[in-house]
Amino acid sequence: MENEQVYSVSQVNLYIKNMFTREHVLNNIYIKGEVSNCKYHSSGHIYFTLKDGKGQMACVMFAGQRSGLSFRMSEGQSIIVLGSISVYERDGKYQLYARQIFLDGLGALYERYEQLKRELQKEGLFDSSHKKPIPFYNNRIGIVTASTGAAIHDIQTISARRNPYAQLILYPAKVQGEHAAETIVEGICRLQKENVDVIIVGRGGGSIEDLWAFNEEIVARAIYSCKVPVISAVGHETDTTIADYVADLRAPTPSAAAELAVCEIREVQSGLEISRVQMAYLLKRKITQNREQIERYKLKLELLSPAYQLRQKKQYLVDCEERMRELMKLKLQRKKHQLAVYMERMRGLSPLEKLQSGYGFVTDSKGGVVRSVKEISIGDEITISLSDGDMKAIVEQKRARRR
Amino acid sequence: MAKAKSLEDYMEELEKIMNDLEREDLALEEAFKLYHNGMKVLKSCNDAIDKVEKKLIVLEEE
Repeated sequence: MENEQVYSVSQVNLYIKNMFTREHVLNNIYIKGEVSNCKYHSSGHIYFTLKDGKGQMACVMFAGQRSGLSFRMSEGQSIIVLGSISVYERDGKYQLYARQIFLDGLGALYERYEQLKRELQKEGLFDSSHKKPIPFYNNRIGIVTASTGAAIHDIQTISARRNPYAQLILYPAKVQGEHAAETIVEGICRLQKENVDVIIVGRGGGSIEDLWAFNEEIVARAIYSCKVPVISAVGHETDTTIADYVADLRAPTPSAAAELAVCEIREVQSGLEISRVQMAYLLKRKITQNREQIERYKLKLELLSPAYQLRQKKQYLVDCEERMRELMKLKLQRKKHQLAVYMERMRGLSPLEKLQSGYGFVTDSKGGVVRSVKEISIGDEITISLSDGDMKAIVEQKRARRR
Repeated sequence: MAKAKSLEDYMEELEKIMNDLEREDLALEEAFKLYHNGMKVLKSCNDAIDKVEKKLIVLEEE
């Protein structure tokens, strides 16, 4: 005992649970059986037992998975459950956690659906690289659906409202029952020859069997090889058929398909009007720009013209003359002023002024100015000029004196 | 048979013409040409819309 490891119950339960989890087969398994002891719990979970002649298994479908169940389960129904098997640790019991539950019979259909989907996907029929864009403006719209029924009516109504000028072309196909798939394929082929811009393939809602034609391989291949873009519109939002996977665009309903295929003509027309106005504006602007450019060139040219240059030079000459005149005037004024100053000074220095104050001016007989007694001899005749006249005199005596 | 131009082709052309018209260095003469072209394309657009209300055509089985 001492050397043996001892485990708790929950440890073992967890260990076993992990074993289940690692087993891939148990995580995604379809199990067929009969419903018994089914309880819809108020929480939204469904508890039931799946059994066959030899055994039984506890099952639960949680509220979050309820979208995988499209009918009301009841006692004794033969069903197929898709889910995973795991251990409920608290009770130490394993049970089936259901994700999808089908009525048996339908189960076979689903299997075919799943298998075809896998095959086609592998083959690349769903590749987004192959999908063609849906043109914005479609003039001719091909429709493959029943000529009676809500689908064509809805498409017609919406198309007429959005763009009454769009041409709808219907290929009345059988959308359920025997040979439905063949007529759908035929419709796709025929419409391609009608030079349509886009094809809507679809029908209104129905049971899985009703929609089955859109899960057929020939339909998938016809859509895939169609040269014209195809919009699928099968059933309601929640039904996804093989055709939806292959189509270039999947619309949740026929009405939505019409919205996608038919553009709003008023938008197109107002867009065209905007283009027209825009173009006129751009051209006008271009003209204005050119005009302005011409004005600029004109101005430049005028500045460069000989006439302008001449005028410029003449003006310069006039300016020069004006300046010279000004300068001359200034100079003259200055000189006049100077002259007046000189005259004032001259007046101060004049000999006549001196004579007035009793001085005399002596000249010899030859008229030369006598500045020194040395220049004169006794008996020389001299002239003495006073302010009011001259006198002649003879020198009688002379004596040098230092002053 | 060469497929006639779709409205989308025309609209693309219009877009291009307008982009060109917006260019600063575009000669006036070119601008006139572009404008002229643009008006033609606009007309083609309107022609493409073919304003006749259409009735549903139901194909007969061959």
